[in-house]
Amino acid sequence: MTAGTPLLHAERLTKHYKNVVALNDVSFSIFDGITGILGENGAGKSTAIKIFLGLLQPTSGSAVVLGENASKNLGVRGRLGYMPEHDCLPSQVSAAEFLTHMAEVSGLPPSVARTRAADTLRHTGLFEERYRAIGGYSTGMKQRVKLGQALVHDPAFVFLDEPTAGLDPLGREEMLALVRKTHREFGISVLLSSHLMADVERTCDRIIVLQGGRVVQSGDVGHFTKETETVFIEVDTNREALVAALRQRGVGVTQEGSGLTIEGPDESVYDHIRDALVEAQAPLRRMAPRRRALAELFERA
Amino acid sequence: MTTHVADQPAQGAHAGTVFDIGYRNYTGVREGRARSRAAVFKDGLRIALGFGRGGRAKILPWLFIAVLAGIGLIMAMIVGAADRIAGPDAVQQMNLPSHDDYYGIAASLLFVFAAIVAPELLCRDKREGTINLYLVRPITGADYVLSRWAAFMVVMLFAAWLPQAILFLGLAMSDRVPMAYLQAHWLDVPRFLLAGIVMAAYATCLAMLTASFTTRRAYASVFLVGLFLITTPFTVGLAQEIEGKAGQWISMFSLLNIPLHVNDVIFGGPSEITEDAPARALGPTVLVAWYFLWTLIPGGMLWWRYRRLSP
Repeated sequence: MTAGTPLLHAERLTKHYKNVVALNDVSFSIFDGITGILGENGAGKSTAIKIFLGLLQPTSGSAVVLGENASKNLGVRGRLGYMPEHDCLPSQVSAAEFLTHMAEVSGLPPSVARTRAADTLRHTGLFEERYRAIGGYSTGMKQRVKLGQALVHDPAFVFLDEPTAGLDPLGREEMLALVRKTHREFGISVLLSSHLMADVERTCDRIIVLQGGRVVQSGDVGHFTKETETVFIEVDTNREALVAALRQRGVGVTQEGSGLTIEGPDESVYDHIRDALVEAQAPLRRMAPRRRALAELFERA
Repeated sequence: MTTHVADQPAQGAHAGTVFDIGYRNYTGVREGRARSRAAVFKDGLRIALGFGRGGRAKILPWLFIAVLAGIGLIMAMIVGAADRIAGPDAVQQMNLPSHDDYYGIAASLLFVFAAIVAPELLCRDKREGTINLYLVRPITGADYVLSRWAAFMVVMLFAAWLPQAILFLGLAMSDRVPMAYLQAHWLDVPRFLLAGIVMAAYATCLAMLTASFTTRRAYASVFLVGLFLITTPFTVGLAQEIEGKAGQWISMFSLLNIPLHVNDVIFGGPSEITEDAPARALGPTVLVAWYFLWTLIPGGMLWWRYRRLSP
């Protein structure tokens, strides 16, 4: 693949399940890096991934991955990795044996598969535990094995479906660090599917937002960070005067309970808040930056 | 993937070694779909025989194989003992069970073995979701299930042929002139090999198809044991009551006897198990066709069910 060539490309992709439209005329391209695909349940994320993996046929349109249609050329799946959201690990075998087997199923010779399995388990932090049966692992360790099986054959591109599902805050942080490492150190491009805005923002370079089977937004993660940032303030008195002063300065304000939510696309909003507070003679009780919930982002879209 | 770079030893200092354990991309050969199928096949063998699993996973398959082999050994020992005590002529008159009777004697055990072990190759992958990881790799659902089928077929062949081989060697060794026995009975070898294929293919297809309908091994095993063992007394009893053509056809539904009728065709005569079965009256062509129907249709259904499987 040459630089600038998309690793994945969807062209007017549509998928119908009887009366349900899972994907509706969706077009996007994914390049080298970590791309997040955001959407609520039923938005079409998993359907898109399955079409790219060649497991589902689109109703119309095309899905090309690494220059191939994976449903017509099974060989390309040997260069793809997939970490599903749901349970998929055998309980009776050890991580070392399982990853060796999965590497062989991906087409690697047995001797290489064994070496790759040990290396992958080291890189995912499971080297010391590799001979224990997977059934005895914690949720975090199982997530690492799931990631390991997706990486063991050294794919060019890996699909991660909700990789932080079921993890505690520390485990979630470690998993996201592993995802970043997957691209930055291993050179493997990633499509991270999630419904958690924070996970995607902290990990991805680019975001695609799906809602109701359509792409509603896409772009660099920095753009979304600004788009989704707000400032929440509370004042003791003169709230109405403050709202008027802010609106006079062209700042978007919405009243939320006892406080105000102020649109914050850039740093200049803090200057406007300071000036408006002085003008309205409103004593400030609390001010904090806040991120919009994913649902609000969809509503705006 | 571990590489090391040895520095030039400085004068008077020890040579140093730097181990680079960073990630390295794989640039070697990718063997594609054939390797994938072989890997699923190999894994199927390991599951069926309990290799790479805990001790409990090994107990059942090896216990059955040992008992099946033991039957062959005991049959050979009985013939050997009778030969020494009563003489070869008396042994011939006794008409002691031999290769043609073995599958009839061991069929129940062989089918229970299939009922207990075969579901392990499919049910666990479905229950634990591992099947989804296979389907995103360079194989299809059909590749997966055919590889698993082939793995269990090999295990069944091993379980079917090993006792017959022990019996053949035992009979040869217990003969007063072993070479003369080999010359006189060498045709038993291709016969028991072929009959073993017949037994193994039938049990494998039915057991794997049943396993494909459930994620619970126990459900599949209980259903199969019931199917194999209960149909025989039920159909035999009913066939004796009804008699005539209808009785013969009812007797055909004794699932245990279906491959045994083909075994009789291969060995050129009925075994002790099937000699009273009314279905024998329908003739070898019908019996063999019936066997193929009961093997190919379950095999085809199994393939069909996995053909378009997706996670």
